[in-house]
Amino acid sequence: MARSKDTNGSVLPRGKKPIYKNQWFFLLLAEIVLAVITGSINPRFFAISNITNILEQIAVLGILASGMTMLIISGEIDISVGANIGLVSCVIAMMIKNDVNYLWIVMVALGLAAFNSLLVGASSLIFKAPSFITSLGFLSVFRGTAYAITKGVFQTIYGKFEALGLTRLWGVLPLGFLIGILIYLVTHFLLKYTKIGRHFYAVGSNPAAAYLSGISIFKTKLLAFLINGFLVGLASMILLSRVGAAQPTTGSGLELRAIGAVVIGGTPLSGGKGHILGTFFGVLLMGIISNTLNMLRVNPYFQEVVFGLFIVASLAVSAFSAYSGKGVLKRRLKKD
Amino acid sequence: MSGETLVEMKNIVKIYGEHKVLKNVDFDLRAGEIHCLVGENGAGKSTLIKILSGAVMPDSGEILILGKHVRALNPRLAIELGITTVYQDAELVDSLTVAENVFLGNELKSRVPLKVNKRKQAEEARRIFGRLGINLDPDEYVDNLSTAQKQMLQIAKALHRSARVIIMDEPTSSLGLEETRALLTLLKSLRNQGLGIIYISHYLSEVFEIADRLTILKDGEKVGTYSSKEIDVGTVIKKMVGRDTAMFFQRRSVQIGEPLLIVKGLTKNEIVKNVTFDVRKGEVFGIGGLVGSGRTELVSMIYGALKPDSGEILLNGQKIVSRSPLDAMKKGICFVSEDRKKYGILPGRNLVENIMVVKNNLSKGFFLNLNEEVALSSQMVRKLSIAVTDRDQLIEELSGGNQQKTIIGRWLLNTDAKLFIFDEPTKGVDIGAREQIYEIILELAERGKGIIMVSSDMPELLSMSDRIGVMRNGEMKIILENRDVTEEQLIRLFIGV
Repeated sequence: MARSKDTNGSVLPRGKKPIYKNQWFFLLLAEIVLAVITGSINPRFFAISNITNILEQIAVLGILASGMTMLIISGEIDISVGANIGLVSCVIAMMIKNDVNYLWIVMVALGLAAFNSLLVGASSLIFKAPSFITSLGFLSVFRGTAYAITKGVFQTIYGKFEALGLTRLWGVLPLGFLIGILIYLVTHFLLKYTKIGRHFYAVGSNPAAAYLSGISIFKTKLLAFLINGFLVGLASMILLSRVGAAQPTTGSGLELRAIGAVVIGGTPLSGGKGHILGTFFGVLLMGIISNTLNMLRVNPYFQEVVFGLFIVASLAVSAFSAYSGKGVLKRRLKKD
Repeated sequence: MSGETLVEMKNIVKIYGEHKVLKNVDFDLRAGEIHCLVGENGAGKSTLIKILSGAVMPDSGEILILGKHVRALNPRLAIELGITTVYQDAELVDSLTVAENVFLGNELKSRVPLKVNKRKQAEEARRIFGRLGINLDPDEYVDNLSTAQKQMLQIAKALHRSARVIIMDEPTSSLGLEETRALLTLLKSLRNQGLGIIYISHYLSEVFEIADRLTILKDGEKVGTYSSKEIDVGTVIKKMVGRDTAMFFQRRSVQIGEPLLIVKGLTKNEIVKNVTFDVRKGEVFGIGGLVGSGRTELVSMIYGALKPDSGEILLNGQKIVSRSPLDAMKKGICFVSEDRKKYGILPGRNLVENIMVVKNNLSKGFFLNLNEEVALSSQMVRKLSIAVTDRDQLIEELSGGNQQKTIIGRWLLNTDAKLFIFDEPTKGVDIGAREQIYEIILELAERGKGIIMVSSDMPELLSMSDRIGVMRNGEMKIILENRDVTEEQLIRLFIGV
């Protein structure tokens, strides 16, 4: 493949970006260091069952983070995905309890989640409000609806619908994780090899220039929300299947973890940049940190604190990398 | 008549990238005078006053205010030193009343702690307005004021803060006749009260009405400072233009065919009024005029980025309606925008993606052909000799000229192109790249494309255009055959004297 491009090599050679300049490389290093430290304190960390456990836990987060990566690259965001999961899992849990056909359940899960995500996107685009704000509003709408339909009651599905979340191939590889990997691959393919992916980058990078180059900003961004919605629906099913029960607060907090994983993976919130590979390692880091905290028996309440700080730290990283090229920060520091 | 020297600027130099926009300019302002700055678009007038108001730092030179050296001037310091710049819109809080805006930052306190004495502020404001002879209701919200009233309010606010120097940049460009009169009268009375006023305007009639002295700038250099009594309009215009011929590009002639684009009575509220013209195959149709004369809006309508209120557009004899840029693109209309940073480049993306964005949009299908992308981009890089190190280099890392060539390259890949619109094609581009861009334009003309070239650059218009349409106040006043037209004639038409 490289040889066929050699004819053009004279004017446009491949870039030679050293591997250590990639954000994912740092994440990988951090993960190895973290794993070695945790493993030396608690050898059970490296047990097959624990690794399987980590993979199972990050499957849902990975699927959400893939959708979020596309949204953030398009210059949008959706902080209602956690509430969206809550609503969708409550609805399908009630359907499962009533033994509705699985085909219907899958369709409702995907359809409802996509509809919700489109609501967030369309309201943002039509009212010209930041999607951060409209999704904040819809977060409350989704969660409130979930409370209303369940009357706040825990929806247990009594072991039905287990296959998706609890199947382990050859006893070790969780099916959910494989689905997650598949989603990463599809996202990567979409971003790199299709027109749609290119449009995501373009509208996130400079909407005015994209529009004048003939890209419909409305359609492109709405499509990003639609894809995000489908992935939320898929994540809801896997989560419900694994946990076996749903309540309105199911999924709350996942949106922040997903955004944190995307941002620490090197996709800046300003849009127009980013890769799914970074997101993959960002999600993995989240999973390892969570597992480490459990292994080291950190109080679960403090785990929340750690995640919050982690997300703030990832935003700081994003801010520094966004400014570093332009020297804005430097100038500001000089002035003071 | 002329009092003490308020402001003195010596040897001011300002460089933007590769461009020297001010070359050792001297300027001074005395108390009790109106000093006008004149020159073409891009002569450096606005940069000079931005330096004085602290918004821009000069690269070298001295600034003396009231005889004292000032280093590191910033906007706040400038205001403290008594220099106020009146902008067209900014600087006022729309949701507060007129009086509250005058006293913003140093409110009059009432006896109750932390409470503002609104009544006293209103009275005080009324007194200031009375002294200036301007008619403003202190209790009106600023939101409801006209542009002219806002400018007057800013002047009043400045005087309340005991400003000694007032700078106005094109204050009358969006004012009606009455309002202009009132503003000029106000400025004259301020001068008589001993203030120094720096006034920038393209409208030489205004300049000659109020100026005591005027300074002419050309291509970043000062031509001279003259008393308005010792100089006349004709001489000023001559001094504003008149370059050496090195600035002109010698183009070859191209066979001109039948009409390609016909625009009939195109209108958009007050911005573009009933514009009619045509562009023929192989022709470079230049559109000139002052900034804000409606040129960009006119071409945006042809490209579908702006919806016209009325009028029609015919391409190859067929009536077309460009509903969106995508629609226009598909019909073969290409548009290189004037502001590359805002409307052209996709920052954070590499050269290949930036070149391919149009072509990819026009091609059918879902997948990208990455090999073809690299091949076509390489072809463009070679053809336009874009300086780029590798295919991952980001567009913002290239120089201005290379960015502009990249964006032009984007449109050259539109294989169905019939009409090319270039809005300020060489703005912020160095000489070498500039000639290359002219070559590309001529090559397109030779292939029978129609070219519309909007430009503020006189030599560019005169050396490239077959015909020149002059826009003034939203109307296309005249279409000139570009034979023996001089810069002087052209600027007269732009300004309308």
